[in-house]
Amino acid sequence: MNGKPGINALADHLFRHECGKLVSALTGIFGPEHLQLAEDVVQDSLVEAISHWSYEGAPDNPAAWLFRVAKNKAINIVNREKYKKRYVLETASAGQYGWTEPTPKHIFSRQQILDDQLRMIFTCCHPSISVDSQIALALKTLCGFSISEIARAFLTTEETLNKRLVRARQKIREARIPFEVPRGTELEGRVKAVLETIYLLFNEGYSASEGNDIIRHDLCEEAIRLAEIMERHPAIEDKSDVYALLALMQLNASRFNARQDKEGNLLTLAEQDRSLWDKDLIAKGISNLKKSIVGIYVSVYQVLATISAHHSTAPDLETTDWKSILSLYDSLVQLDSSPLVLLNRAIAKSKVTGAGPALAELDGLKDNLVLKEYHLYYSTRAELNMQLGQYSDALNSLETAVRLATLDAEKKLIRKRIGFCQEKMSQLQPTPEK
Amino acid sequence: MKEFMLLIRNKVDHLSHLSPEENQQFLQACMDYIDRLTKNGNLKSAQPLVKEGKIISGSKDAWKDGPFNESKEVIVGYYHILANNMEEAVDIAKGNPEFAYTSTARIEVRPIKMREESTGFTYPGKK
Repeated sequence: MNGKPGINALADHLFRHECGKLVSALTGIFGPEHLQLAEDVVQDSLVEAISHWSYEGAPDNPAAWLFRVAKNKAINIVNREKYKKRYVLETASAGQYGWTEPTPKHIFSRQQILDDQLRMIFTCCHPSISVDSQIALALKTLCGFSISEIARAFLTTEETLNKRLVRARQKIREARIPFEVPRGTELEGRVKAVLETIYLLFNEGYSASEGNDIIRHDLCEEAIRLAEIMERHPAIEDKSDVYALLALMQLNASRFNARQDKEGNLLTLAEQDRSLWDKDLIAKGISNLKKSIVGIYVSVYQVLATISAHHSTAPDLETTDWKSILSLYDSLVQLDSSPLVLLNRAIAKSKVTGAGPALAELDGLKDNLVLKEYHLYYSTRAELNMQLGQYSDALNSLETAVRLATLDAEKKLIRKRIGFCQEKMSQLQPTPEK
Repeated sequence: MKEFMLLIRNKVDHLSHLSPEENQQFLQACMDYIDRLTKNGNLKSAQPLVKEGKIISGSKDAWKDGPFNESKEVIVGYYHILANNMEEAVDIAKGNPEFAYTSTARIEVRPIKMREESTGFTYPGKK
């Protein structure tokens, strides 16, 4: 026992994050084709450490201890393989082990770990692996989640998730995906692809409204952490997109704790208690947004982050700078005319020009194949109808919306609006003569 | 206060199904547990035992080591505690986080014999 007073609380997610670093570092030694081995060695090291510390208390620097255990295990394995290889060579058949001899001084140095984490990001997010598997693999290897934790986050079974991981590791072996940061002209495209995966991971945590709230929050945090690894690394020279995505995620994540009430009901921007917004994250987001501005180049992330920043800095919904937001949506539509962008643009327009013209624009989109089946199209229409006092039109739209919505939290939100609408209608209805 | 030995038994790989995050929560729970026992003056010592060891049997000229069964439970560690009576010692054992984080834990609670009541003989090894 180390006899320290009971203040030795461990840093949040310490082991999860350290395991992610270790898997990356060991993959650098074993090669990406032995990813599973790296994961197993890390898990073994962790168990060994915990079974001691659970009696003796954690040492002052648990990460360093854990790294030492893992390093010794790795060196043993490499030596064993080297011995095997020599034996194979002596028996005149060429072995093809790709083991890199660890140089004890450099492995697990800060820079080396950052390098390996970046390599791992590019390996996990290689375009020849399906996007679903990319996300699962990144969470398993880089972020230190267990299979059951990832399965819970994606509301799927452990078996499905395990298959996805097995396939991904197999792909790495078969396609001989290298453990390296792409160079030259390849880098730019690969950075974009990695950022897309990171953004998907973030949205997986941010938009889904079912499942465990803590896990979803962790997904957002991990997406930000992965982007920060890219932001810190000098190998990526043009970081404009990295900064912009970081800004977007930080600004959106700042509202995470305000988005739901105590019963888990979703709250609109207008209903959220803005004092719950995370001011540190907002400041970080805005600072990254500034760093992302290079020349006249504008990215989708940048526009979205700027819109998010306008919301983050406004004291309330009415004093929000809707004119700027509308013009941002106008430029966003040029880059990305997805249904959600079109709907959000209509909301911004209604704040600038009133509900009438915004509704007219939405009318013009009623034959859009995606919007026709999208519950938010109808609930957005309903909100505008209500602003114009057209409660019976609003009610019709809301009923379509509730039919199309898939998540319980969304259905609940829409039903709340239906109740509001009906109440208004009964107030307006002339009392029948007796 | 009387002395008790809590022998913690569990499967050899009892922690390997825990994720890094769960391992951390388990460790934190253990550290809090140890801290609580220390503050209350219940703890004399606590040590983990390395799971690989030897079991000696036989006799001179015929020593045997083993047999071992890898999948079986082992003593993963012990707590040497002070408690007023068996009931209190059992309560302390029940608070061990091994129960909350693994489903295979078993704790043996054994009073340490210090003095033979009938003869008044005091066992050595204690001041």
